[in-house]
Amino acid sequence: MPGVTSDTGELNSLSVVPHTLDTQNPRVYPLRLHRVTRPLVGLSISWARGNTLRVSLLQTDDAASEQSPGGEVVEVKLGSADAGEIPEAQWRRIAYGSVAPFALLQSRKNSMDALHYEKDWWEHVMEYSKEINSLLGNTKSSVTPTIEDPKTVLKKVEEPTSLKAAWELMEMFYADKQSQTWIPERLLDWLADFDCLFSGTQPTVHAKLVAFQNELVTIQAVENHPEYWEIMSSALAVGWLDVVVKLLRLHGSYLFDQLGSREIENGLVEAVALLISEMPRLRPDMPPEKIGECYSTKPEFMKAWEKWRAKITKLDCSAFWLQCDHQQTRVGLKNMLQVMLGNASVLSNVTYHWIELYISHFLYVRPFTVGLESMYNLAQKCMHLKPISYRHKLMGLIIGILEENTEVVLAECSRSFGPWMVTHAIELMAAGSTQAETLLHEEQSKIGGICIEELHRLTYAQILSSHALTWNIAPIYLTSCMKQGLGLLENLLYKQPVQHHQVLLKSIEICRLNGLDYVSYNMMKIAGVHYWKHGKKGSAVFWLQQARDEVRLNRIAKHLFDFVGKSVSDESFKQWEGMIELLGTESKTAGGLEFLKKYRDFRRSLQQVQGGVTTDAARKAAEALISLMRNPSTPQQFWLPLLYDSLKLLNWQERPLLNVSQTNLLLNKLQELSLARLLPGFVDAGLPSEALQSVRLALATNLGRAILDE
Amino acid sequence: MDKSILTLDKGTRCTAWNYSGQRLAAGLLDGSLLIYDSTDPASSTFISTSRFKVQESSILKVVWVPPEYGDAVACISADGTLSLWEEVNEDTEGHHWKLCKCFDRNTSQVLDIQFGDAQTCLKLVAAYSDGQIKVYELLDTLELEKWQLQAEFQNVIDLVSNFGNASCLSASVSWNPQRSELQQSSFVLGFSSNVPALNSPKVWEFDLDHQRWLPVAELSLPEDKTDQVSAVAWAPNIGRPYELIAVATQKGISIWRLGSNPDADGRLSAQKLATLSGHDSEVWEMDWDMSGTTLATTGSDGVVRLWQSNLNGVWHEQAVLAPAS
Repeated sequence: MPGVTSDTGELNSLSVVPHTLDTQNPRVYPLRLHRVTRPLVGLSISWARGNTLRVSLLQTDDAASEQSPGGEVVEVKLGSADAGEIPEAQWRRIAYGSVAPFALLQSRKNSMDALHYEKDWWEHVMEYSKEINSLLGNTKSSVTPTIEDPKTVLKKVEEPTSLKAAWELMEMFYADKQSQTWIPERLLDWLADFDCLFSGTQPTVHAKLVAFQNELVTIQAVENHPEYWEIMSSALAVGWLDVVVKLLRLHGSYLFDQLGSREIENGLVEAVALLISEMPRLRPDMPPEKIGECYSTKPEFMKAWEKWRAKITKLDCSAFWLQCDHQQTRVGLKNMLQVMLGNASVLSNVTYHWIELYISHFLYVRPFTVGLESMYNLAQKCMHLKPISYRHKLMGLIIGILEENTEVVLAECSRSFGPWMVTHAIELMAAGSTQAETLLHEEQSKIGGICIEELHRLTYAQILSSHALTWNIAPIYLTSCMKQGLGLLENLLYKQPVQHHQVLLKSIEICRLNGLDYVSYNMMKIAGVHYWKHGKKGSAVFWLQQARDEVRLNRIAKHLFDFVGKSVSDESFKQWEGMIELLGTESKTAGGLEFLKKYRDFRRSLQQVQGGVTTDAARKAAEALISLMRNPSTPQQFWLPLLYDSLKLLNWQERPLLNVSQTNLLLNKLQELSLARLLPGFVDAGLPSEALQSVRLALATNLGRAILDE
Repeated sequence: MDKSILTLDKGTRCTAWNYSGQRLAAGLLDGSLLIYDSTDPASSTFISTSRFKVQESSILKVVWVPPEYGDAVACISADGTLSLWEEVNEDTEGHHWKLCKCFDRNTSQVLDIQFGDAQTCLKLVAAYSDGQIKVYELLDTLELEKWQLQAEFQNVIDLVSNFGNASCLSASVSWNPQRSELQQSSFVLGFSSNVPALNSPKVWEFDLDHQRWLPVAELSLPEDKTDQVSAVAWAPNIGRPYELIAVATQKGISIWRLGSNPDADGRLSAQKLATLSGHDSEVWEMDWDMSGTTLATTGSDGVVRLWQSNLNGVWHEQAVLAPAS
């Protein structure tokens, strides 16, 4: 295909978030054709809600056989998630679960006293971060040994996700102010939890350990196997001390039948195990299953560290080694001592990728490293020693964080972990670094004056919008956007299928919460018109009334007039009675509808008159007639039919029901009507030609009788 | 993630989704129109629910009427006629599609149409093959039968000149998608014709005081004024202080920034932000996403291209979606 030469990608990873770092050529994503074959005669595109693009692929007629279709429509959801690591239902659970912590944090931010900002804000952020983290899975360290089975050094746990790993990194470096002093130890814990994630693409200590455990059940004397010693050095290097101690105790010299011949050997093994258990750790506390001595202040830790190292050196020079006959044990244990003594080349040999090497340096070479700058320098050194063969997305993120490059961190978050991640992690970044906060909140004139924080929220909201099960949480994020959130919310609401009752109700609720009355009026109007056109007249009137759409209600009233205005005896009137009842409830919205209600009352009293012959009922009907004729909202086209229907009242036998002024009013109306007849737009009521004449006569008679009465 | 959601009937020539993306209208070579519906808002499987004959000749374009006026479509046929069809439920016949209006056609053909101004008084802009623009107004909010010709003019800045025998191959109209009743309604229109002056896209705005349409901006550089325009698309604006309009000519796709404050002559400032080349030849369609940040285009090279501005305001091609065989 011409013009399409660059690399191709997976559609799942296609993101549409603007970055500053976009310099590469556009990637080509293949659109799978399911039912049609090329060549295609046409392509048509249409954006649906959110990030959904629908592509109509039209096939040439001669291209295929008779049975083949004329084309198909393919729906593409752009950048909705990272490459399939987390199933869709799980994503939705995360999306729903993160709404409440996000909203709470925003409301705290809005109501915050400026003075308290610095002091305890990070505590709120940490609370938020912990809640979000708990949504991402409940990963316990996968290198925890179980006590029950001595041959199980690794517990089988649910595979952690890189999303959780990324979140914990962000939390560690930006939000958690308390752990700033012992970040190396936190990184160690982090690697213990997530080293398995790197196993898919490169060798890792974790992968070696898993492989060794699988072999372990069949091995008789472990100490004779080189892997045993290798794996222990590796695990020791990355600080999985409990695993190492457990493995050491599998050493054959511990067996009862070895007493008498291997005491020295066993003593050396146990000495190393003891030293490992006593290793000083610069951290306030540790989970119960982990080993080592915790020191929370640096001076204490340094003192303990020196003492510990002295013990190792002493053991290293001990004369007992000469008495150890088992060569593998001697070499293996010595190698482990070299790890603990921080021998750089040994550390490099027993670790597999740069992050493992990095951790080993923290533990044994530079235990007092503090500050991001020195951490970054060390990371660079480790990457130099263990060049990256495969750049895992988590590595990109760590490097970005360590080099304190907010833009890289943002780009890595959004590209590798998706809009959910970047939207929620921005809260951590803004809380953790002034430089990041400035960058996130600075208005970008080139993208219409919004800031980067808002840009990412808008992008995430678009993704939520594209799914029928998540669109209703998009407003939470949109309303946290100062500049363009409401605009996008409006567009989102206008695209809702309002003929579905539940969708309409939900949309109205969202409008109410966000002060978007005019949007909800418009949606109710659309629903009303839909019902009107589809024969549900009652619902139509209800929704148009809710929408306060006077123009259309008046138009509907006129439509009803055509039906009700014919004659008393007309059966069609009955059909409309219920509707008029409905219209009457909020008659103020449209004058024409108010008339209809009065007209219905008049018709009822008139029917009573025709049934019985009491003067009282007739009097009431006559009053209703006068009130109708006086009312300016009574349409002109009704005047004559009203009077014609009332002939019986006008000709009432017992006594005239209308007085002189009332009769004059009716006569005036009749005159107005005969003048209007000459104007364009006059609606003829379609009564018999003698109708006007008989009404005229009846009124004259009534007037005469009224004059005599008064 | 891509998935096939609908199979189109044989002979489909054009498709159009309604406002909510729940219905698709497809125009066929034999002049039939098909409607596909999804059963509930959460599902994305669509089935054909109606089929009816609109014209004897092929349908070239289908446009949905704004939902405030019901479920209705306008169809442009190959013979240049324009007709309006509406789905109604009448007591006697149940759900069905009926012809509401067939617009008079004299010698010239309808090339493109778009509906606008749905909030106040629905308008329909039609571009004809003789270079005329006609604006129709709906007289009755509940009936799609009654239309009135509100204005008729040519796509030229200089209103006195008149090009009698123009012959246009195609045209493209796009309304300003804003919904505010406070702002005057406006649209952009460009032609592909043998009369250079008609071609360049002009932004037309209704002047309430004088009750007429005025050209308020021209979206072409002096050296490109005669370029034939294949498509225009006005971006939704969710809060930018300016408007964005995409214009496609044979030279590529250009993105224009339109200021919002008129100068003393009532003209709006127009600035070309970018020229993008990608589709080797003709651009068929352009569509902005609902935030007005990503532009999708298709063209005769048979691929979909996505365009976006980065944070530095530099427009670039973000991705290509290529149908794989």
